[in-house]
Amino acid sequence: MPEPIDIQLKKGVLGLCVLAVLARRENYAYEIASLLSGAIGMGEGTIYPLMRRMQTDGLVETYLVESSSGPSRKYYRLTPAGHQALKAQSDEWRGFARAVDALLEPVPADPQPVTEV
Amino acid sequence: MTRTEFIDKLKIGLSGLPASAIADIVADYETHFADGTAAGRSEAEVAQALGDPERLARELRTEAGMKRWEDTKTPSSAMGALFALLGLGAIDILILLPIVMGIAGGLAGTFIGAIGAFFGGGALFAAGPWMPLPGQPWAALLGGLGLMAGSVAVAALVAIFTIWFVNALVWYGRLHYRLLKPALDARNA
Repeated sequence: MPEPIDIQLKKGVLGLCVLAVLARRENYAYEIASLLSGAIGMGEGTIYPLMRRMQTDGLVETYLVESSSGPSRKYYRLTPAGHQALKAQSDEWRGFARAVDALLEPVPADPQPVTEV
Repeated sequence: MTRTEFIDKLKIGLSGLPASAIADIVADYETHFADGTAAGRSEAEVAQALGDPERLARELRTEAGMKRWEDTKTPSSAMGALFALLGLGAIDILILLPIVMGIAGGLAGTFIGAIGAFFGGGALFAAGPWMPLPGQPWAALLGGLGLMAGSVAVAALVAIFTIWFVNALVWYGRLHYRLLKPALDARNA
């Protein structure tokens, strides 16, 4: 069983990861779920409640793409608000990760004040 | 668990939502199974990776209930959000529920009291001048008016506080299940 810090970290950045994956390429839910379960080990089922919430919040939108085999497929893409959220959250994440990395150094090499984000 | 078992449990868990919403959600998971088997995984593997369908259904239903509260602030949508949170187990039955119920009961009681005071004020205003009350007739008239105005103000305050209170519950519930969910997943894995 993973440590609680691991679980809470993953849960906190899951939304950010989905935004980042969709910024690279517009995608469908199964692909997003496989990518994220491979990369950070999230439960695949979690993606659907999350996508619905992000759609409610106006961060992503869906469109249908005709498929040669079987029914048409639902794709997700970022809205302008989604792009903004990605920018804001990734800045926040990078600032936070830098600050934690600095604290993990055994000897403070060169004390750098952490800029507020 | 097979695909059919998973979908059946999901449907049972979602019952109560509008049929179109259920069909939408079920289609998402059906597609997931189709994609999974196309990628060479067995139905059981896909189902296991998805997690507990009953818990997913509860989370999806809570999201729908909270969205309804955000869209329309009515007493029934407030109750819907509260019961969805209870169903999720996000409100601790032993510690939080008595507090929540206490506040909800207090609000309801104050509101009913305000309605009573409003009609009492109306009666005083209408009948006061002819009743054997101390003081002048106009004192009963003004007193009745004052009581009515005061009770309207109290009722308005109760309404504002109730909206704030349910919003706080929704916020708390979302925070709670975002943290709770992966912990449960990890335990099941």
